Amino acid sequence: MTMATAPRTPARPLPLPAALGVTAGHFSGVKILVPFAALVGVWWVIQALGQFPERVLVSPARVWNTLILLFSHGILAEYISTSMRMIGIAAVISLAIGVPVGFLVGSNRYAARGLESFLRFLQGVSGIAWLPLVIIWFGFTHTTTLVVVIYTLIVPIIFNTMTGVRAVPEHYSLALRSLGASRLRLITDVYLPGALPSIVVGLRLGMGYGWRALIAAEMLVRQGGLGDLIFGARTSGQIDRIIGGMILIGTLYIIVDRLLVQPLENVTIARWGVLRK
Amino acid sequence: MSLEAIAPVRPMRRAFGILAWRLVPIAPYLIVLLIWFVLWDVFRPSKETLPPVRDVVVAIRDLAVSGQLATNVIASLGRLVLGSLLGIITGVGAGFVVGLNRNVAEMLNPLAVFFNAISGIVWLPLMITWLGIGTALAVFLIWNTVFFIVFQNTVLGVQLVPEVLEQGVRALGAGRTETLRSVTLPGALPYILTGIRSGLGFGWRALIAAELVGAASGLGTMIFDAAEYHRSDIIMSGCLIIGTIAIIMDRWLLLPIERRTVQRWGLVSDAEARR
Repeated sequence: MTMATAPRTPARPLPLPAALGVTAGHFSGVKILVPFAALVGVWWVIQALGQFPERVLVSPARVWNTLILLFSHGILAEYISTSMRMIGIAAVISLAIGVPVGFLVGSNRYAARGLESFLRFLQGVSGIAWLPLVIIWFGFTHTTTLVVVIYTLIVPIIFNTMTGVRAVPEHYSLALRSLGASRLRLITDVYLPGALPSIVVGLRLGMGYGWRALIAAEMLVRQGGLGDLIFGARTSGQIDRIIGGMILIGTLYIIVDRLLVQPLENVTIARWGVLRK
Repeated sequence: MSLEAIAPVRPMRRAFGILAWRLVPIAPYLIVLLIWFVLWDVFRPSKETLPPVRDVVVAIRDLAVSGQLATNVIASLGRLVLGSLLGIITGVGAGFVVGLNRNVAEMLNPLAVFFNAISGIVWLPLMITWLGIGTALAVFLIWNTVFFIVFQNTVLGVQLVPEVLEQGVRALGAGRTETLRSVTLPGALPYILTGIRSGLGFGWRALIAAELVGAASGLGTMIFDAAEYHRSDIIMSGCLIIGTIAIIMDRWLLLPIERRTVQRWGLVSDAEARR
């Protein structure tokens, strides 16, 4: 069996919402705002005409006021910083563990093949499914949330590191070796740059999965964070907080994804992208 | 080609190599099982913390025999099928409308990005209030998850069909519907199926999360209820079953379908089709 059997294209083997980055293209501010304005308008009309009780639907203005109120009391900042800290810590730990593991496994084709199906299995059992067990282990703490988020985040990172390493054309390393490069040089000069774009794609995917797992875990662990905010508001029927929280969750995710992770992806791919994106 | 291909290999070693290659995917499971055995024997944790392997096997058997397993699996799968069907139908439909009209696409794109960011589980608290706990809630969450993935893939697929092909068929006298049917649809099909495949994976995960709080039956409910009695053997069994179903669905059902379509209609390069 030759190397040809290994997947040459690291073409994102994990389920990928293909167009998550639907050509982010050139949005002018107005163009983005118009559809949202229309949506808020529709919401307002429905709310005004429908005479809904407060526990069912409130006006956009009400949601806005609630957000301002929460913000001015500093509560919102705390919920947001809890969530952001969690996803940040989880991303760092996942990278610190996932990339080396992906490298080790990726450098051996038996190991790579062996781990592939296992990783798929792990991905099939969402982190949230383990939550009840993790709660038994660590109680209703931040540790529990962190474990669940890392579990979710780390799989795509390992996977993409692995495929990234495997996709580095063999002649590169053969060429460097014949020029007398050491194993370390091989890693720093060939495999790491070669795998980097794929790793960043993995990170971006993982952040997407991890963010959702974080929100879900926060809903059940109830130790602060945006998930806690919207789920806690449900028990007291505060629709304004729920909708406000949802808007924040969406906005924050888009900010992190578009302003942090996607630029990173573009930079790495532009700089080191031996791979087709 | 690597050096191995040139060097002569003894038949025995080769057979062994092939065997190892075939069996190697089982290795991680065996390793985890072994670690689990050893951990349990060395530390003797309480059964609530970590159940022994045997307990989990017994739990799975008991669940299967009592019919509880079948009930919950059917409840979960039923929701998945219903929610996914809705998601696929609406997603493909909306995807075609948006994919074919640049103006609509440009206008709706910001909304799609935003609602995709909050798709699935984020809707849980609001929908519990609106729909109450039950099947409707779970179906909504799955629909919401599946819709965006199928929608975006359909849009991408429709937009990526080379315009030349459509123009060619038109020039030969085909009408709009005929062009749609014989060019755009087959052209977009591989993308749509990829969308459906990953959509179902996401949907399954969203379903389990939804069932933890928002349902009266199903696998998610099963493990969450078990947590109240600290029955970690049932939780473990539940997780194993959830993973197994996900793998069966993906590898044995959806992947083959996707492969065939890609081979038949794919505009994808050979390398990817071989994957």
